[in-house]
Amino acid sequence: MAFTVPSLGHGVGLRTKHFPHLWEGTAHVDWFEAISENFMIRGGRPLAALEKAREVAPLVLHGVSLSLGSTDPLNTAYLDDLQTLIRRFEPTWVSDHLCWGSVGGHYAHDLLPLPYTEEALAHVAERVQTIQDRLRRQILIENVSSYLTFSHSQMPEWEFLAAIAERADCGILLDVNNIYVSAANHRFNPEDYINGVPADRVGQIHLAGHSNMGTYLFDTHDGPVIASVWELYRLAVRRCGRVSTLIEWDDKIPEFTVLCAEAERARTIEMEELERAYAKSA
Amino acid sequence: MPSLRELQSSFFNSIAHVPGGGSANFDPGLVHLVEGRGQLGPQERINIYAQMYYARLLEVLHEDFPQVATILGCERFDEVGRVYLTCHPSTHPSLRYLGRHFAAFLDTRPEVASLPFLSDLARLEWMREEVFDAPDAEPLRLEHLQGLSADEWPDLRFQLIPAFQVLQSEWPVHEIWATAEEGALDRGCARLEKTALRVWRDGFAVYHAKMDAIESVALAGVQAGKPFAAICAALEFIVPSEEAASAMGSLLLRWIEDGILVRLPRK
Repeated sequence: MAFTVPSLGHGVGLRTKHFPHLWEGTAHVDWFEAISENFMIRGGRPLAALEKAREVAPLVLHGVSLSLGSTDPLNTAYLDDLQTLIRRFEPTWVSDHLCWGSVGGHYAHDLLPLPYTEEALAHVAERVQTIQDRLRRQILIENVSSYLTFSHSQMPEWEFLAAIAERADCGILLDVNNIYVSAANHRFNPEDYINGVPADRVGQIHLAGHSNMGTYLFDTHDGPVIASVWELYRLAVRRCGRVSTLIEWDDKIPEFTVLCAEAERARTIEMEELERAYAKSA
Repeated sequence: MPSLRELQSSFFNSIAHVPGGGSANFDPGLVHLVEGRGQLGPQERINIYAQMYYARLLEVLHEDFPQVATILGCERFDEVGRVYLTCHPSTHPSLRYLGRHFAAFLDTRPEVASLPFLSDLARLEWMREEVFDAPDAEPLRLEHLQGLSADEWPDLRFQLIPAFQVLQSEWPVHEIWATAEEGALDRGCARLEKTALRVWRDGFAVYHAKMDAIESVALAGVQAGKPFAAICAALEFIVPSEEAASAMGSLLLRWIEDGILVRLPRK
């Protein structure tokens, strides 16, 4: 079993503030990632913008409410809506988060942490398989930032992520900023995480900014990527090679050019690391 | 050890069922399971999620009901919002639907006693949300009518676009909305006044406008699927009969300009 997706380069998240660039012809970027739920609607400007985005550059869909780890039955209406979006916009791939967000039919609209147990592993892997069968495609699952861990966890998060990816035969969306945030909050070495995931299953990388709240780091996506996360990204490139990389910026969203400059920085770092690896091998 | 299901129920109840959070309300079983490494103990860690839960969802309610929030003030709006979220936790994967019960909820709140127009203002704001992403439709333009013969007009049936709704209120909610949008909190305009508003989307922009009695009757005819001649006949009850056709013609021009009618089926 294997996982392969094309390398799309260095993209940015598609946000409402930047829609005008789509019509003005100034949305110059390698690819876009759109939040699936924002487009599960029937008409109007967001869907028109997504059509435009698809004309401009390759598009991927990134969900926040699949609730992969929830013990509620899978929401089939949601999956139907996702399938409708997939048929219409033909994203290069689809992803969501390794977490849960709903129970008893109630949605927290948050990426809540799972215990890393055999029970959770079997449950999530089965749900990912069911979803992939229903959507008739492999999906990518993303590690989330977390603020607590459970004492009955039986393995570190990276082993849990790797085991699900292998068992469900899905891809990994490696969020380097989330690794950094969780590592600080739970005191593990972020390099162990990056070295612990199966590199051949990493199909996408996320980079974002976060906030230091004094006693913990908070995944706010409201600023530039910090230097330590860029350093971790270097390690991710060394380990995984050329992988489609995306800048997430969801709050205090800057001008489009600022976002694109972050994507360009990722491109430069990737190039530096790949050239270094090439020089070493030669 | 709790099952995954038990853990998730306990987690959700701890972060969502107490407005304003408060670690005293966290399930002790959950607290026992959370590791407390570093500077934060288990309760402080759970509290991060509890704070996020309300902060995020209240932000969505603020975005969906900006004028209600302006009139109530941020603090009071958050207070009402927290109770709303406790009574109506989200049951849809998309945040788009979080506020769907908010107007009806406001009807039950004591705030409405001093601000009796508030729930209708919320209805207007929710309608604006609804038409914002309602299905697209090709609008009727003036040139589409140019090829019609005089014989065809009496039987013509117009259809409203999907991104169109009507709000009936005992209050001039459009004036209250405009006052709140300007940030001027003069509640003097909140006088009883039967008001019919049409809310629609033209292109990507959402509008609302007050309708007079003539427009209300004519639009009700269109909504009921009545032919042009029958709508003109209905107008004869409120305008002199010789003016009914021209009144209808003026309305038609306005509706076409606003893009609220669907293009007629091609012959």
